Amino acid sequence: MKSKLLNVFKVVVFSSIIAACIFGAAAVVRRKDSSYKYADFFQEAKKNNIDVLLMGSSHVINGINPLTLYEDYGYTSYNMAGHGSVMQSTYWELIEALDYCSPKWVVVDAYMLEKNYQYLDVMEENAGKEDINTSVDQLHLNMDAWPLNKLKIAAVSDLIKDPSIRNEFLFDFIVYHSRWNELTEADYKAFSKETDRNRLFGAEMRYGVELSPVVYPDPGPERCLDEHTVGQEYLMKIIDECQRRGIGIVVTYLPFCATTEDRIAANTAGVVAGMYDVPYLNMLDAGIINLYTDLNDRGHLNAVGAKKVTEYLGRWLYENADLSDHRGEAGYEYYDKCAIQFDDENIKLSVSGDSLYDQLEMLSRNSVSSVIYLNQNSAIFGDDNLKELIANISGTDKIWNTNGPYILINDVESQRVYEASDGEMLDGVETGLGTLVYQPVEQLFRLLYAKENEEFNYLYDDEHAAFDIQIITYDRNTGEVISHQYYRPYGHQYRTD
Amino acid sequence: MQVVSLAFLAFLAIISVVNIIIPRKCRYILLFLASMGFYISIDIKGMFVLSLSILSTYLSGIIIEKTALLSKDRSVSSNEKKEAAGRNIVFIACIVVNVCLLLFFKYYGFFSRNINSLLGTDRVPMLSIVAPIGISFYILKALSYLIDVKRGTLKAEKNLIKYALYVSFFTQIVSGPIDRAGNLISQFNFPVTVDFDRFRDGFLQILWGYFMKLVLADRMAIFVSAVYSDVKPGTITFIGTLLYTFEIYCDFGGYSHIVIGASRLLGIDVKNNFESPYLAASISEFWRRWHISLSSWLKDYIYIPLGGNRKGTFRKHLNILIVFAVSGLWHGANWTFIIWGLMHGVYQILGYIFKPLRDRAVRVFKVDRNQLSHRCFKIAVTFSLVNFAWIFFRAESVSQAVEIAKRSFEFTPWVLTNGDLYKQGLDSANLLLVLWGLILVICVDIANYKGYIIREKIMGLSLWFRWAIMIAAIMVTVICGIWGPGYDAASFIYQQF
Repeated sequence: MKSKLLNVFKVVVFSSIIAACIFGAAAVVRRKDSSYKYADFFQEAKKNNIDVLLMGSSHVINGINPLTLYEDYGYTSYNMAGHGSVMQSTYWELIEALDYCSPKWVVVDAYMLEKNYQYLDVMEENAGKEDINTSVDQLHLNMDAWPLNKLKIAAVSDLIKDPSIRNEFLFDFIVYHSRWNELTEADYKAFSKETDRNRLFGAEMRYGVELSPVVYPDPGPERCLDEHTVGQEYLMKIIDECQRRGIGIVVTYLPFCATTEDRIAANTAGVVAGMYDVPYLNMLDAGIINLYTDLNDRGHLNAVGAKKVTEYLGRWLYENADLSDHRGEAGYEYYDKCAIQFDDENIKLSVSGDSLYDQLEMLSRNSVSSVIYLNQNSAIFGDDNLKELIANISGTDKIWNTNGPYILINDVESQRVYEASDGEMLDGVETGLGTLVYQPVEQLFRLLYAKENEEFNYLYDDEHAAFDIQIITYDRNTGEVISHQYYRPYGHQYRTD
Repeated sequence: MQVVSLAFLAFLAIISVVNIIIPRKCRYILLFLASMGFYISIDIKGMFVLSLSILSTYLSGIIIEKTALLSKDRSVSSNEKKEAAGRNIVFIACIVVNVCLLLFFKYYGFFSRNINSLLGTDRVPMLSIVAPIGISFYILKALSYLIDVKRGTLKAEKNLIKYALYVSFFTQIVSGPIDRAGNLISQFNFPVTVDFDRFRDGFLQILWGYFMKLVLADRMAIFVSAVYSDVKPGTITFIGTLLYTFEIYCDFGGYSHIVIGASRLLGIDVKNNFESPYLAASISEFWRRWHISLSSWLKDYIYIPLGGNRKGTFRKHLNILIVFAVSGLWHGANWTFIIWGLMHGVYQILGYIFKPLRDRAVRVFKVDRNQLSHRCFKIAVTFSLVNFAWIFFRAESVSQAVEIAKRSFEFTPWVLTNGDLYKQGLDSANLLLVLWGLILVICVDIANYKGYIIREKIMGLSLWFRWAIMIAAIMVTVICGIWGPGYDAASFIYQQF
């Protein structure tokens, strides 16, 4: 009997060790995307620091930046949106989040309201295997970070039909053990507090520029979806849940190249919001963004578009929601720290973008001051996209009416923009660089100097005489030149070599 | 419920525990119920064929037992002789019924296709028939029982449940081994005590089986599938053929280890099905080490009844060809399998024919047959022949096999260094894992060949070393094993036969 008990004890101990090892291995091999996105949520939710939850799909991830909200208004928010999140995923994401925090407001975007299927592993009747795989894969981003509990089981059961796929969400080691050969140093930090985390509080900024946006026919403001969809049902549930808990809710439809069907869905979202008497911000035609400069692709905003949309939302919250300004408040230091990091990152991207388009797009964020010079008769004057980006910085249409030379001085500190084209001169321009004088001389030679140092011409050096485009960035406060980029056109591309 | 599934492991664990708890005399009932439940879970429709085979051979066994007894008695009357003749008819009818079941379900499509092709008509209707799972294995078990009873070497089993359990024993029904009634039924009658040592031994063997199957066989299958689905040039194809040779061994050998280990947990000893087959120094030795239960079945119930080697050289060679053709056909309803079987038959016959020549060469060149180098040479030659034959076994058609064989002789060693090797579904980490795994398998086989049972050695170690080895093995298998949605894990190759 004694030896039997000893054997049972050995089996129990051995099984426990194995269970612990598998638990540890599961944490290491787990894809970190979800914990990367939500690590700061858990941290800030614990301190009850989150006043606004931003819910929705990738449109929200790329379109609303909590750090802009914080910098401009001091509102603390977290972007909980998930890639490919349909309304039912958004609903469960909200329910999970409300288990950890009590926000004062919820912003929910109604993109994909027209989707009329319940299960993400079934989707529509004609859904291809690849679409279903993507749908299930994207749900992992939403779900993996949440601990296994009754709520998670309920969520997964509601979103996934196939029991074996459900198990993959409840015990994700089933999926991720195959990552053993792609583990990085970050994976082994699964148990440490130094894990990589999203410093934008769940948002992701895109820095590309969509050069060919499309405008689809408008069905008219009255046209709504023909049927009551699953998406509508879950939007109602979201509103119900917020109202039941006394949380303010605003429904949005963020701008992008919306198809006719999207516009119909946007109209329907307004009807649903109206049924519950909750505010609705349809931003599709609100003139918030410039389709030609503020989109990363046809579906998603870039960082400039996100800034505009976030500022719009911030203004609305300022006027309609009774939220506190937490800037500089004790306990919110982490928001301040991340905001500084974000600004530094913006400066880096502004002074040396991946491409001329990206750099011009970033310069419109006004993180740094800049001088943009375009040579006379440059091919750039035939590039409408580029002219759109420059007009976005200048706020005028001067660039559209010239063949060069053209100069734009954007002095962020004084919040003034100076332009000159063709034979025009500039004199006595007060900037961080000094009191500038600009004078075009001939096609390959022009003058730009500060009166304090007339010997130094910013816009000419022999090595770069053949370059059509120059961008000088300088610190908005100190006036120190940060970078001087030269570009020249090669077909439809602009290169620095 | 697949053998490679958590469900099977849970099922096995529950049955093992209940098997230990309940009285010994009831154990066979538990195993019978478990076997029926297992089979229903994998192929409920196939239950009809399984039941038919069990009942027909069970009843026939009881009926013909008397014949066996009478045939030994020379003083029987003419009436009794007539009765015996009647029982012979029962025996033959039962054999015919069971063989026809096998032929119909497994070979109808093959024969109808070939007959139609030969006659250039479509007179024989093509039917879509799905063979019941395990039919190739349990029919042979049932037939061996019946023939043994007829021969008088085995008593007919009166207890239907025990007999049904013999035919349908759940650890063996999917892919064998093709155990004999004499071995199994006696263990059902007198179950042994499942002590802790037996439990550990069984557990270790199961673990080794899963390692071979999940870590090695299914990983190699990815590379092999890539090679066979789109024939690659030269050395990659050769490596693909080599990997298939190991894949099929690790697959079937791994399965056999799982079955033997699982049976041991249930108090049943099953004989080894593989004894280091790739260390065989001749083709005949290979067949004494490879799929031993099938080889011995073919020898006992086909080769010897045909006259074996007792009727002259020609008949001996003919019998070998017949046995190997049947073996090939048993493995699959395709000409590729028949050619594979015949190749082994021809290998053996050529071995016999050239034996005097080989002996003479050994004498002339004064080769010491006991030298390690000579043994290694023979092993290498045997391995090469076996490897070449496996091409036909794996290929989907004879023409594909010829193409693969042809390509595998092209010498393109640069694929080892130009990265092409890693484009066949396995990256360098995976191929390295395969390499180390195969080295381990070969070392274990060499130890086994020399009479060292590694499991026993591990059991002899102190607890900490033992546990460390077991935990490492479990972790490697669960992390690096090919299972879950990350991979489309292949089912056991022998399950299709």
